Amino acid sequence: MKFSSSAFPRSRWVSFALALAGIVLLPGCWWEMNGHQSTIDVEGPVARDQLQVFYTTCWVTLVIFLLVGSALAYATLKFRARTKADEDAAPPEQSHGNPFVEIGLIGASVFALVIIAVPTLRAIWYDYDVPAMEKANAYSINATGFQWWWKFEYPNEQTEPDSTGTRGLVTTANELVIPAGRPIHIELRTMDVIHSFWVPKLAGKVDMMPNRGNRMWLEADHPGYYWGQCAQYCGDSHAVMRFRVIALDAKDFADWLANQKKTARVVSVAQDEKIEKARPVFASWKQNQTGFVTGDQLDISPLDAWRAKQFPEKEEDPALIAQGRHLFQVKTCAGCHNVRGHEGVGIAYPDLTHVGARTTIAGSLLENNTENLTRWITNPGAVKPGNKMWVEGYLKNNIHLTPDDVAALVAYVQSLK
Amino acid sequence: MHDALVKTDFITEEKHAAGRHLVLWRPTAKTGLMGWLTTVDHKRIGFLYGISALFFFLVGGVEALLIRLQLAVPNNTLLTAEQYNRMFTMHGTTMIFLAIMPLSAAFFNFIMPLQIGARDVAFPRLNAFSYWTFLVGAIIVNIGWFMKDGPPNGGWFGYTPLTTKTFIPGHSIDLWVMGLQLLGVASIAASLNFIVTIINLRAPGMTMMRLPVFTWMTLVTSFLIVLAFPAITIALVELMMDRLFGTNFFEVSNGGMPILWQHLFWVFGHPEVYILILPAMGIISEILPTFSRKPLFGYPIVVFSGACIGFLGFGVWSHHMFTTGLGTVTTAAFALATMAIAVPTGVKIFNWIGTLWGGRLRMRTPMMFALGFVWLFMMGGFSGIMHSAAPADSQQHDSYFVVAHFHYVLIGGSLFALLAGIHYWFPLMFGRKVSEFWGKFSFWVIFIGFNTTFFPMHFLGLNGMPRRTFTYDANMGWNNGNLIATIGACFLGVGIAIYFTIMIYTYFKGERVGRDVWDARTLEWSLPNPPPEYNFAVIPTVHARDAWWYEKHHQDEIKKENEEHASAEAAHGGIHMPHQSIYPLLSAIGILIWAIGVAVIDPSPEPGIHLKLGTVFVGFAFMFVSVYLWALEGADGYHIHPEPESAAPALSPEAHK
Repeated sequence: MKFSSSAFPRSRWVSFALALAGIVLLPGCWWEMNGHQSTIDVEGPVARDQLQVFYTTCWVTLVIFLLVGSALAYATLKFRARTKADEDAAPPEQSHGNPFVEIGLIGASVFALVIIAVPTLRAIWYDYDVPAMEKANAYSINATGFQWWWKFEYPNEQTEPDSTGTRGLVTTANELVIPAGRPIHIELRTMDVIHSFWVPKLAGKVDMMPNRGNRMWLEADHPGYYWGQCAQYCGDSHAVMRFRVIALDAKDFADWLANQKKTARVVSVAQDEKIEKARPVFASWKQNQTGFVTGDQLDISPLDAWRAKQFPEKEEDPALIAQGRHLFQVKTCAGCHNVRGHEGVGIAYPDLTHVGARTTIAGSLLENNTENLTRWITNPGAVKPGNKMWVEGYLKNNIHLTPDDVAALVAYVQSLK
Repeated sequence: MHDALVKTDFITEEKHAAGRHLVLWRPTAKTGLMGWLTTVDHKRIGFLYGISALFFFLVGGVEALLIRLQLAVPNNTLLTAEQYNRMFTMHGTTMIFLAIMPLSAAFFNFIMPLQIGARDVAFPRLNAFSYWTFLVGAIIVNIGWFMKDGPPNGGWFGYTPLTTKTFIPGHSIDLWVMGLQLLGVASIAASLNFIVTIINLRAPGMTMMRLPVFTWMTLVTSFLIVLAFPAITIALVELMMDRLFGTNFFEVSNGGMPILWQHLFWVFGHPEVYILILPAMGIISEILPTFSRKPLFGYPIVVFSGACIGFLGFGVWSHHMFTTGLGTVTTAAFALATMAIAVPTGVKIFNWIGTLWGGRLRMRTPMMFALGFVWLFMMGGFSGIMHSAAPADSQQHDSYFVVAHFHYVLIGGSLFALLAGIHYWFPLMFGRKVSEFWGKFSFWVIFIGFNTTFFPMHFLGLNGMPRRTFTYDANMGWNNGNLIATIGACFLGVGIAIYFTIMIYTYFKGERVGRDVWDARTLEWSLPNPPPEYNFAVIPTVHARDAWWYEKHHQDEIKKENEEHASAEAAHGGIHMPHQSIYPLLSAIGILIWAIGVAVIDPSPEPGIHLKLGTVFVGFAFMFVSVYLWALEGADGYHIHPEPESAAPALSPEAHK
């Protein structure tokens, strides 16, 4: 059983080789730093500023690591007892330390930390609020976290009056549309537990704290489609509490906003043509040759996929949609979800007035397509653990849907552009 | 001091001890179940802590492997969201409170009294009570696995309002609250005991600046526990009141302030981080000098930096809350304080390298783990510095980057040191030595497995993967990193399995060794192994910082001195030993009963005395009667007269390899 280290150099070399291989193989994931939520491949001034601070800490610690690590490696290799005789030799000089070395090293550590502290302090103030000179250009959003979805309100944008003459704020869910190139001031609130608003490519996270008004700012350099996610554990479906941020240029944003202000779209045979004319036109986007971007192409060109979603589905069945609208009321969906201009009146759950124009559903867990909508509406409990639509809706109200019901509801939801 | 103790009245009460009536029965069994249940011997209690900690380490490890298996591939369905959330909550809670802390406590108990030349801790029965209460707390935290409501699922820091009754109505959070509360009681009682022991029971000549660094770190850690746990106690009481009696400390609808929880929790939680790492630093500061065969470089500054970390550790808690909207000035203040704490931490690393410098390093297994510790802790320290830069932290917070960071300091740091400590002190505890080959083999498997698991997590975090997510999408660029981490985790698991298999094998069949197998420097190595119940036949007199090293090199002087002390002690009636007692165990059982009443049993809708309240009453009565009898039986003891030790320190440093 007993092996001394010096007697078995081979086993030690094998160990060293394994360790080396491990260290070389490990950073295999190094170049995978450009994901949808990368904090390295950033696209906005706030995230870029935070990245600069991170790089500073990286360089400083890397230099310290090289110096201290070399000293440690050198000491280990140089003073290692290599033979039995070495091990049994008389103990070395029993020295107790050197105050000058100690004080020198403490001084060096403090100096290294000052290098980190200065940009840190600057960035704390810069990241906290929209810079004073850009305040006039800033755009305001209210974001509210729920278990497990997000509500986005546009506090300066009133909707068109509905049939009763009521106006409200432009409200959307899970997909935040912002103007690119403008600082966005976001007021963060929560309706239940703590959530954390995080779009890594645009800005670091800020929590949504109950009984506390938090805020943050971010800006997208250019039009784009960004992934975000809740970063604070908030219960069962925390992992799938996702959202998207879509940044548009000024013209597109104005078009989008104009459409959002409208009441929900009505599809009937007679009205079809009229609706076609009213649809938003995106100056910078050309429908691609093969038709609408769908399915897997969300990943390839997500912004184009989002734009395609703004148009009515290719084949709409007004009768089926009308049946879906009827079921939406009969099956009590309308009690929780707002569909402005239609029967939906609920305000505590996602606003569906223009849900058909979003790329994702179910807290941005699923891509918004017929297959996923069918899955989601048929059995929400099997898609998103613990979600309120299942627990508070389907289970409490004893909702049962036949496949035909679901198909009609899907058609209706998809028509809400 | 030693003379004063021997002469105190209560110690010479030997004649009263016999013939007590039935209620105040004094157990005397030294072996068998009763021997263990009533033991007050610090070494046996240390062993019990160690075994319990290793059991829960195994449980926490299985939870960790399930977590990693779930995340091996995107959109995996091995665990449901609910199961996964319970798993990471229990993994964190178990590893921190039921594995690392009690494993440190095992070393405090076993080693610290031996290092200061004491025969036991100051309050032996309180020490037993601490252990049994710890066990009760551990049972309450884990009992949920066998209940309908399941184990806790609020995360290990249990943020309100998620943990209020509104959002988690079942008992799972009650178990967590009550269990942690009891673990706090156990920790505070044990820490007070250690503080009094270190202050009062040092052998003659053992001045504070001659204390071994491990004992110093025990002292600092104990003060941290005594000062930090009240904060979480308050937080837990408030949460318990909210959950049981409908108060509104954290109930948002009634104006409660969830942010209050975070402040209270982290005022405890950050010192807790140092409670986990300081004992490890103490162990490393024992092992490196022993195997470098020279004294610790800059002893005073290592001790001072340890104490400094203890103080600063109370002033950095809000760096766990950089994203909660603290405002600019607060964020800046806590960022700078956090950077400041890196200095005393760095100082320790410099001094460890200074200890190696000019030494003659014997590369034994404990040394390998200790060197592994220095490397990995250094890396964990660097990612810690990155977090102190608050703007960078706003991207890293609650991402896998943080997961990588705290596993580097808790596994690469605390656990590596504890594994080193087990190897190092195993010959002293059991008189057998672990095979060098298998020890080093397990080291390399653990080292490689650890890095393969946690290094990729830095990149996952920087690539935007949030922690505590039971699943992730395939298109996020996280697939490779997660798969590598899972493979690494299995490797790490194998390494740990090898490590403990060897330990068990060695316990039964390992190579027998004599006293002081490593040619060490501190007093515990002056004892035969395993050490006798009374530890020191003669209380040693300490002449230098590395007391045992001095004794080995001044044998004539020590021999003469010991003979004088032996005759002085014999004149006072021999070695005084504390009586065993059943009451610490019974008190803890009383606590278990009422804790079950509070946290496990459903309240009845009807008014009056029902099962829940009844159980609480019975438990309290049981506890009070036990504590009363504990007080009534008195702190008396008995004397033993060991044979004059033939194997007095007559060993030359070269005589035993």
